[in-house]
Amino acid sequence: MSTGAGIAPSPPRSRYGRFMTGVLRGTLKLDVWINKVYPADYNPLYYTGGLSNLFLFILVLSGIFLFFYYEASLVEGFASVQYITLGVPYGGLIRGVHRYAADGFIVAVLLHLFRNWFTDRYLFSRDNPWISGMFLLIFGGFVGFTGYQLVWDERAQVLTAMFVGMLRSLPLIGDWLARVFIGGAGVSDGTLVRALFLHIGPASALYVMLWWHYLRLRHPKIWPPATWVLASVGLVFLLAGVIPATSGQPAAPAGRPASFPMDIFFLIPFWLLNYMSPFAVMVLLGALFTLGFAIPYIARREAPQEMSVRHAGVAQVIDGNCTGCELCFFDCPYNAIAMVPSPAPGLSRAAANRTWLAVVIESRCVECGICIGACPFEALELPKFLERDVQAQVLEAVRA
Amino acid sequence: MRNMYTAGIVLLSGLSLAFALGILYGEATDRWFFGGALVGALLMAYSGIVLLLRKMGIIGPRKAER
Repeated sequence: MSTGAGIAPSPPRSRYGRFMTGVLRGTLKLDVWINKVYPADYNPLYYTGGLSNLFLFILVLSGIFLFFYYEASLVEGFASVQYITLGVPYGGLIRGVHRYAADGFIVAVLLHLFRNWFTDRYLFSRDNPWISGMFLLIFGGFVGFTGYQLVWDERAQVLTAMFVGMLRSLPLIGDWLARVFIGGAGVSDGTLVRALFLHIGPASALYVMLWWHYLRLRHPKIWPPATWVLASVGLVFLLAGVIPATSGQPAAPAGRPASFPMDIFFLIPFWLLNYMSPFAVMVLLGALFTLGFAIPYIARREAPQEMSVRHAGVAQVIDGNCTGCELCFFDCPYNAIAMVPSPAPGLSRAAANRTWLAVVIESRCVECGICIGACPFEALELPKFLERDVQAQVLEAVRA
Repeated sequence: MRNMYTAGIVLLSGLSLAFALGILYGEATDRWFFGGALVGALLMAYSGIVLLLRKMGIIGPRKAER
């Protein structure tokens, strides 16, 4: 039996590790409970990424509709939104769809983030989707904020003033950032043009980040099952019809409203300004996102040496048994297997007439063992975790 | 259980028909929010039908996943 290849992983040692193990168990229990209500292939928690993508798609389509009618100026901004809401056939409905799809997007993204965090799906080569996902969250949040600006009602006016205050609180670059954001020393027509650009530009960039997000995933679940597509689209239409999106009073240069309707999905940082200074809020946001980016690198529960099951060595192709069937090539989620023209026939009868040979790209292999399960010809092994060892350990466990 | 699913599908189909008529009414009377809300309700009823069909085993999963 090979050493260091136990079935059970080493128990996590730190308090953080024990906490993460607890939330992992809780997440899996939730999965089991939902699977009793929905078939496993319809479990919405398996499609939080696909649901985010669906809401983003709804946002893009409804946003294009709104863009046709919107005018980015202090005088016309509010009026054009009112015209969309009350004058354009179904315009108010589409505005509501845009509004509620934005909330759905943030909820789905946060569910996706927490689920992948709690189930360890950010370690090793999965740091790539994690980092790109953090960018998607930041850009998505910022796009939501600039969306509130575009309405240019009293709330938009206060939010703009608060955000400029937060920017100005930053040392050295604060004033410059504030000027760039509002397009001069004070709010002008250029401010809303910039807000429109800062709404559409980062929103378009989300698709570049999605490409990055999917880059190392072999079979990403880009779209949820039909029932969830119908339910999600239906829900945003229903909400848009029953609780229409509305504007407040139009912004006035002399207006100084003391409060405004809160949105818990996009405007939490502004709520914090009730209790903290603008600089403290900026530091808190910076710290939160820095921590988010650092999670794949600082929060590993166990070192590879401790994870005896996972530290199994890079997968090896047993040349003589490989038939070139490509099953491992299609199953590897990390794109770590390439098929090359076979230089010679294999040794086994099944491999005698092969035309392709599987080759492991070591830099991409995360030693997960998926390819071993995919191969029916025993042509792949994890060198420190051989199949015969697993069988021996199972027998030993059964006897004990 | 299968009878309950069937009854659910029949109920949702009836509701869908009512929602569709409501959409037509909303369109005819320029009640855009009313019609739009019923579009949402119709889609949600459809999603329920798809879910029940799946639970009955009439649709999905794909052959390769069986």
